[in-house]
Amino acid sequence: MSALRARYGAGPLHLLGVLAALVISAYALSRVFSLLPQPLSFFVWFVGAIVLHDLLFLPGYSLLGSGVARVVAGDGPPSRVRIAALNHLRVPVLLAGLALLVFFPVVLRTGETTFKAANGLTPDVYLGRWLALTAVLLVGSLLVFCIRLPRLRRQ
Amino acid sequence: MAFLPSPPDAGPFKRSFWRSPLRGPWLASFLSSALLPLIVICALTGFLSHAAYDTDLGENAVFGDKGGFDFYFFDWPSSPAWLYAVTQGLHIITGLAAIPILLAKLWAVIPKLFESPPVRSLAHGLERLGLALLVGGTLFVFATGVLNIQLWYPFGFAFVPAHYYGAFIFLGALAFHIGTKIKVMRRAYRDQGIVRPLRDDLAHTRPEAEPTDEHEETSAPANPAAPTLTRRALVATVGAGSVGLAVMGAGQVIGGPFRSLAFLAPRGEGFGSGPNDFQVNKTFASVGIKRDEVGPDWGLILQVGDERKVKLSRAQLLAMDQVTEKLPIACVEGWTTTQEWSGVRLSELARMAGAAQDAEVQVRSVQKGGAFNQATLNSGQLNEQRSLLALKVNGADLSLDHGFPARVIVPALPGVHCTKWVGKMVFSA
Repeated sequence: MSALRARYGAGPLHLLGVLAALVISAYALSRVFSLLPQPLSFFVWFVGAIVLHDLLFLPGYSLLGSGVARVVAGDGPPSRVRIAALNHLRVPVLLAGLALLVFFPVVLRTGETTFKAANGLTPDVYLGRWLALTAVLLVGSLLVFCIRLPRLRRQ
Repeated sequence: MAFLPSPPDAGPFKRSFWRSPLRGPWLASFLSSALLPLIVICALTGFLSHAAYDTDLGENAVFGDKGGFDFYFFDWPSSPAWLYAVTQGLHIITGLAAIPILLAKLWAVIPKLFESPPVRSLAHGLERLGLALLVGGTLFVFATGVLNIQLWYPFGFAFVPAHYYGAFIFLGALAFHIGTKIKVMRRAYRDQGIVRPLRDDLAHTRPEAEPTDEHEETSAPANPAAPTLTRRALVATVGAGSVGLAVMGAGQVIGGPFRSLAFLAPRGEGFGSGPNDFQVNKTFASVGIKRDEVGPDWGLILQVGDERKVKLSRAQLLAMDQVTEKLPIACVEGWTTTQEWSGVRLSELARMAGAAQDAEVQVRSVQKGGAFNQATLNSGQLNEQRSLLALKVNGADLSLDHGFPARVIVPALPGVHCTKWVGKMVFSA
């Protein structure tokens, strides 16, 4: 047992668990290969999803976020007012961004043809709705910030 | 023990690169605790949805073959009528609600992607391979699901088998991940309490402790910046996103006046107020049926096996006993609409054709191509008294989009199996 730990780096349960996960994945891939006429596109999407999220999307919004933070909060130790201003900006932007991330196909009408074929409607209402949501979130957040401002200044 | 050359000690590979004071095992554990129940419900209802298609009957197999874990040992029930609306509604609601938590969780642990050395031991290397399967599987399953419910299919593969077997990879890797991380979670909760860090205001928001165990590198920062956000504000923001998305899903699952809550959801658009003004799954214009195929010469053919029994015109069908049932029809894409359907009982048609008591029936549309131009119903669904061949909805003739001259409506059956533009019913001999 300790020989396994020394050579492998973990206990036998760890080895069993990881092997089980790999066997399940191998089985799923074998089914994908026998069922999909273009199994390569499955790989492209699988690996592409990791690359897109971990190496583009996450660094992208992190850079954007820290850029905004530097502008709003400044470089030195930020005041409470500046921190609050930053949060009253980034929270609504984050939520509006989340809505767009999830619903961009209808908002930006990327699948308009198949959408219309399915339910007979066009997705042209969604951009307006998303803009309205974004406006409500930003204005609402700004109002709350204005209400909080006198108290923040006093502290 | 280094198996691979170490990456440069620079950029994201440097421990001091990651500055957020909020990252750490507690945050990751807390988000995971919120995520897990949603994923469990989403996975179970996903597999139930597959079962609802009764893939072992007739040509119901959605994958085109009957191999693999694509079989089930029970016939999908036809009662309660809202069963599929609830299971599939939960699938879409929990899936949508999980997205912000999942993204926050990935943000919380991103430093681990760049840990150095990249592989400390064989076990560590395999664990990281498992993580690649977990992250890839998760993103794959969520991305394909989200695109599919919005009717956009940019991927070059069939959605159902890809989403289904992608979930196998995801769930297998998740089970192993939970097994390896349960210790980390227990330690984080023991050291910091389950909710205690949520009580900290900004002045008390401190980074999580550096790992004490030198073999376990955590996502807590070595060089934390001053906090600008409390943990409770972060959790509240993620929670607000989660609740918002759940409401979008729930609005189109419950339907009726609640549909307006789903204002960004793909089925959040209203129709008019006429009897046929409700959500359509496949429009008449999109399926390539010619007008005269559903014109005055249309007739419903009843067969038992290969033996043709009778052909009924729409007038003859309307002259039979008419039954009206208020039933929901629920789509795999996570939306439901409840309407008042009128028509002839399927069991009455079975009796007329002289089918056996335990017969199944394959219902064929006049639609030539398409994945769902036919469906086989199990004998329970056929004998269910509320199962109809509907001719009218809300008192009016069905519109072409809703399946005129006749469509099937069966309680708790996935919507796409409620065949429209029915031309033939073949009872098993």
